[in-house]
Amino acid sequence: MSFKKYSAVIAAALILIAGAGTQEVFSQVHGYEEYKVKAAFLYNFTKFIEWPADSFENADTPLTLCISGGNPFGDALDSLKDKTVGGRRLSIRIVSRPEATEGCHIVFSSDPDGKNLPAILNSLKNRRVLLVGEMTGFAEAGGIINFFIVDDKVRFEINVEAARRRGLGISSQLLKLARIVKEKN
Amino acid sequence: MGYKSAPPKSARLFIPVTAFFLLLHALVFGDNIVLADLTEMSIEELMNVTVYGASKFEQKTTEAPSSVSIITSEDIKKYGYRTLSDILKSQRSFYITYDRNYSYVGVRGFGRSGDYNGRVLILIDGHRTNDNVYDQGFIGTEFPLDVDLIEKIEIVRGPGSALYGSNAFFAVINVITRKAGTTEWMEASVDAGALETYKGRLSFVHEFNDGTGVLLSGSIMDSEGRSRLFFSEFDDPSTNDGIAENADYDRNHGFFLKLSRSGFTLEGLYASREKGIPTASFETDFNDSRNMTVDERGYAYLRYERQLGDNSQIMGRLFYDVYDYDGTYMYGGVTNKDLGKGTWWGGETLYSVRPLDKHKLSLGAEYQVNSKQDQKYDDQDPLTADLDDRRDSRRLAVYLQDEFAVTESLIFNAGLRHDNYYRFESTNPRLALIYSPFDGTVFKAIYGQAFRIPNSYELYYEEATTQKSNEDLGPETIRTHEIIWEQSLGKNFNMTVDAFHYTISDLIHQHSDPEDDLLVFMNSNDIETDGVELEIGGNLGDRAEGRVSYTYQNAKEAEERTRPVNSPRHLAKLNLTAPVLDENLIAGLEAQYTSKRETLAGDQTDAFIVSNLTILGRNLARGLELSGSIYNIFDKRYHDPSGDEYVQDFIEQDGRAFRLKITYVF
Repeated sequence: MSFKKYSAVIAAALILIAGAGTQEVFSQVHGYEEYKVKAAFLYNFTKFIEWPADSFENADTPLTLCISGGNPFGDALDSLKDKTVGGRRLSIRIVSRPEATEGCHIVFSSDPDGKNLPAILNSLKNRRVLLVGEMTGFAEAGGIINFFIVDDKVRFEINVEAARRRGLGISSQLLKLARIVKEKN
Repeated sequence: MGYKSAPPKSARLFIPVTAFFLLLHALVFGDNIVLADLTEMSIEELMNVTVYGASKFEQKTTEAPSSVSIITSEDIKKYGYRTLSDILKSQRSFYITYDRNYSYVGVRGFGRSGDYNGRVLILIDGHRTNDNVYDQGFIGTEFPLDVDLIEKIEIVRGPGSALYGSNAFFAVINVITRKAGTTEWMEASVDAGALETYKGRLSFVHEFNDGTGVLLSGSIMDSEGRSRLFFSEFDDPSTNDGIAENADYDRNHGFFLKLSRSGFTLEGLYASREKGIPTASFETDFNDSRNMTVDERGYAYLRYERQLGDNSQIMGRLFYDVYDYDGTYMYGGVTNKDLGKGTWWGGETLYSVRPLDKHKLSLGAEYQVNSKQDQKYDDQDPLTADLDDRRDSRRLAVYLQDEFAVTESLIFNAGLRHDNYYRFESTNPRLALIYSPFDGTVFKAIYGQAFRIPNSYELYYEEATTQKSNEDLGPETIRTHEIIWEQSLGKNFNMTVDAFHYTISDLIHQHSDPEDDLLVFMNSNDIETDGVELEIGGNLGDRAEGRVSYTYQNAKEAEERTRPVNSPRHLAKLNLTAPVLDENLIAGLEAQYTSKRETLAGDQTDAFIVSNLTILGRNLARGLELSGSIYNIFDKRYHDPSGDEYVQDFIEQDGRAFRLKITYVF
């Protein structure tokens, strides 16, 4: 029966291709690295978010972006190093423990299984922090902005209520582009 | 049963093809490409950037070199869509024909009256829904999934046999079901509408903390339909003056289950629909409400997906399907039973890999055993079996697709699939060049070929007085050339221009044999069609969005150069949605124009415009959503051409109708 012959051919082809696959050579041909794009989004968000004046010590206090729960960006954050936001320097901090968020204006949580979220929420109390994540249900669970990917493109959802609670203003221009989600209490 | 195994020519073909693709990889150079500075882009621009990452191997359709439309669950709510057929009506180059029994989809000027939906492949979560007896993809109330459970629908136009095999002739419609969220638990929905139509749904949907996702849902619908339908063809005292009473009923119920956990998905579905036939099709007794069809469809599959390292992914799937058709046809008060039973099972595997930096390769194989493809026709009084045809068959297919980024702006996409049905064989390629000379501009040039094998009904159906079988039927083939121009217009708008030309050869077509006056299917006609689709869509600001499209499709029967039946030359669609008064109150307006269509008797149906309006109210109270819809607002009277099985040359469609729907999320 010809099925056996097919199987042999398929198996051979799979082995050949798997062999080629180990070369792990990647370049940015079809698109951009996901985290370079997400880094650019994070930078862009700062233009549409208004922090209350009291969230900065003085006019020279930098805007601090904290990366919590592992750093998936690698060197993708380098592109943000010399940026300024509304006259403030952008400062980037990698935080090793989820609860160490003192002084952060933005907390990005890369946390696929959501285990760190309660600790982060707990440590933030009601501080004026833009909490950004990339996990299903993140915004509904109290995060403010959550990335998701549709058709290889980055999209984001916003929990408006969570932003309001933290005293952050979000421009309608940004809301227009987002999927709005409601909180689950 | 008794099919001869075809020689394994396919295996011999497969090796050089594989070698060719591997050779392509060897020719790749690792250029460094300079990319634009992302941080200088606006959010809108960033949202249009394609990304890749370790988990970016979506299944099959994503980077399909085709003209693709996406419909989301939001669209379904905002436009008050009740069925898949409602959804398809709003799409460019699609039109629907309803004979008050089933709904049929026409695409790009082809929608031959009396044919089943065998030339469009309809998938649910990648699973083929077309049955193995009639090949029919359901789209009306007979579609086995509640549209409320849809997350999105990908409509891929053009021949898709290079990936999907038979039936992917004009388009592939992949319906993707909802994902469970961590924040929701239960959802209940009820609606009531015109023609005494009531529907209810209860769903349990949740993702547990350990990552187990559950979607379990049940739906039930009951519609009386038009209680009095007038058909002038039967306007005679002996046939109730042409009025069919209480014969248009439409009832369905169904269940859906999806369980997912760490790479495994178990999905199952069962649905049954009962539809009264008010039209006296197949010369049955007029105004006898016992004339009806019952269609039951079920499947279960288990899928496993796994990431292998950073740049490859493997998927395996096992499935089991059933289809049961039970038609009751009354002749002189005597019940006749027309039955179709299909069962099939099989497996498929798909391996996706980026073996070298510029290639994305997919290699797949499918095997399916059609364990039952039976048809039966019984005259109940006295009980005589006119037809008792039992069949089974198998198919085996292998396919390969490579997406090769030749330069930064040019992608070459090549796919080839070989299908072996033991009785039939077919090899179908698709080649596409995708060129993006600058940001916001994409040109695609596509050549594709697709086939459809004759189904069991066309091959074997036989009934002494009306129809005979033809076991010599072979597959029909379509060859399509297509040029697509996708252009962003400013930040908010996109335009698509799509010019296509297709030729169908050996079309499986029903004829009346002059020698014995019996209907028989033959590989006879050729069809040639030129067409253009134009669509502009985008954001109109303030959360309003919309699209407008026009399709010109000029189909010709190749020899006579005449226009085929049910082939409108012009289609136009308009869709608009915007908040009214409040952001939680959203209006969805649509209008669809269909030009006149030829009928089988050589007449023409009138051109018409149908408009629908839905108002959706959200967060009226916590978790409460309310919507009101008016379909065919202006009560436009219009007709669809009907098939050979009708005395009527065309069949009147529904006038103005309303629906009120309440959904509550617990």
